[in-house]
Amino acid sequence: MSAAVSPIEQMVVVLARDLADGELGAAGAAALVPMAAIALARELHAPNLTVGGEMFFNPEPGRLYPSMLDDRALGRCEAAETFIELFGHSHHGLDFFFHSGLQHDVYGNINLHHVGGTLHAPKMRGPGAANLSYCHTSSRYYICPTVHTARNFVETVDFITIPGHLSGPAAKRDAGLVNEGPRLVVTPRAVMEFDKTTLRMQLKSVHGGNTPEEVQRHTGFDLAIRGEVPQTRPPTEEELRVLRERIDISGALRA
Amino acid sequence: MEGQAKPTRRSKVTGLQDAARLARGALEERPELCLGGLFKQSRPVALVRALLAAGADGLHVYSSPGAGYDVDLMIAAGAVAQVFIPGVTLENRLCPNFRRAVEAGQVTAHALDALTVVGGLMASAHGVPFQPIDALRGSDVLKHNPLLHEIDCPFSGRRIHAVGPIRPRVTFLHAQEADRWGNLRHLSTMVYADQLMARASDMVIASVDRIVPDEVVLDDPSRVTVPSNYVDAVVEVPYGAHPTASFPNYAMDEEHIDAYADLGDAARTGDSTGLDAYITRHLTEPKNQSDYIEAVGGTGYFAVLEAEARNE
Repeated sequence: MSAAVSPIEQMVVVLARDLADGELGAAGAAALVPMAAIALARELHAPNLTVGGEMFFNPEPGRLYPSMLDDRALGRCEAAETFIELFGHSHHGLDFFFHSGLQHDVYGNINLHHVGGTLHAPKMRGPGAANLSYCHTSSRYYICPTVHTARNFVETVDFITIPGHLSGPAAKRDAGLVNEGPRLVVTPRAVMEFDKTTLRMQLKSVHGGNTPEEVQRHTGFDLAIRGEVPQTRPPTEEELRVLRERIDISGALRA
Repeated sequence: MEGQAKPTRRSKVTGLQDAARLARGALEERPELCLGGLFKQSRPVALVRALLAAGADGLHVYSSPGAGYDVDLMIAAGAVAQVFIPGVTLENRLCPNFRRAVEAGQVTAHALDALTVVGGLMASAHGVPFQPIDALRGSDVLKHNPLLHEIDCPFSGRRIHAVGPIRPRVTFLHAQEADRWGNLRHLSTMVYADQLMARASDMVIASVDRIVPDEVVLDDPSRVTVPSNYVDAVVEVPYGAHPTASFPNYAMDEEHIDAYADLGDAARTGDSTGLDAYITRHLTEPKNQSDYIEAVGGTGYFAVLEAEARNE
């Protein structure tokens, strides 16, 4: 374990620790970090965690691929479903899911549709998103973009593709969002959580090599820093060894 | 002569150009085209190229909930008016021509989600007037989605959503194998929404890596993913999904797609000479799939993609 811990490896370890044994969940669209986190949790403390809800059950990728959505990554799995089953999974919900976008705001709302302009006259048109149900039929989800700047962390998103906590508890209740919604925001710089009362994002911990001031400078809204901000607990020897030797054999998380 | 000659069953095996003409004629009646596969896997790209060469335009394009290269190419060729696909992306980067055309107001990209598209296909496949959806909340997509209605649930009285039937005039699919009657066998692990689209559409045309003898199907009927009843024509096209993958036979051509996207980004920012040359080389000049294979790099080039599919 000579090489230093990469920011992406730190993200994976933080996310893996929050997934519990016996849960059912899926990785979402930008799957590299979530799939690594799920695999690490299954290796370390959650052998009965089931990956399901996205057409394949319990894939065994062998190694990580930049896009985890192909037969080389998922072809070795316990069962394959089709898009027809998306209805059942969407209505029943999962225990956890993952999202990230072009913009993320102080309430954890995520934009994948357009930046500037309007939907049909956009300054910049984004990709959109495939499925919108898991963000609120699932018990909770994680926001885990692999960049963290003042451009993709903004006070208010231009379009809510994936609802987070909308504009707070009242709006969330009015919209019928009854589950937890986004629990943690994990980026290459830090971990954020949401204030229990206001549901606004606040800094929880900073990864090694970052200061709270730096993280604030790279965020487009007030992170409500009060007093000491702890450092994110670094990967243990065992977490790092299992991650590198059994999951990320190709070093994709250090690239 | 004793008795009568046994009447012969009609083969659905068709040539690529004939299939494209069949599709173009149908799409002139109603421009709804649906594409099978997902993102960079099992996309019927050879059929798309043949349709573009046959001169389709004003298309309304549907797909499983995620698409990329093929839809972007159709937009680059000027064939698309409206996009009804929830996610349009090359996954590791944005779709350049999709972006440019939507930002310029030349193409309408509707805000949709996977349940709307899958539910609309389900309603069509099942012959019912709508599919209820009770899992959409809080997204701005709901304010703009043109296919959804809010309704009162007749049982609980709660407000839920409903989507009407999505009935593509033509669906293109890509599978690994078929027999001459059009029974499709997806050998890839995932079958995406292909089975649903086949049942939801007026006309289904499939490309396959190879046509297999009747016995292959008869010996293992549970392996058939789409029965021939739903298929109108089947075309054997070597590397017919390129530059997307046809697992387990060949992997996606990431380098080709990336190079195409670079040309698309250059066109988006003002220099379209590279993109124009790409379209000439891959779309206009090849008279058939053999020409296309040569234009891309020849059979030796494809052997590398075959090895990648085997994880070598």
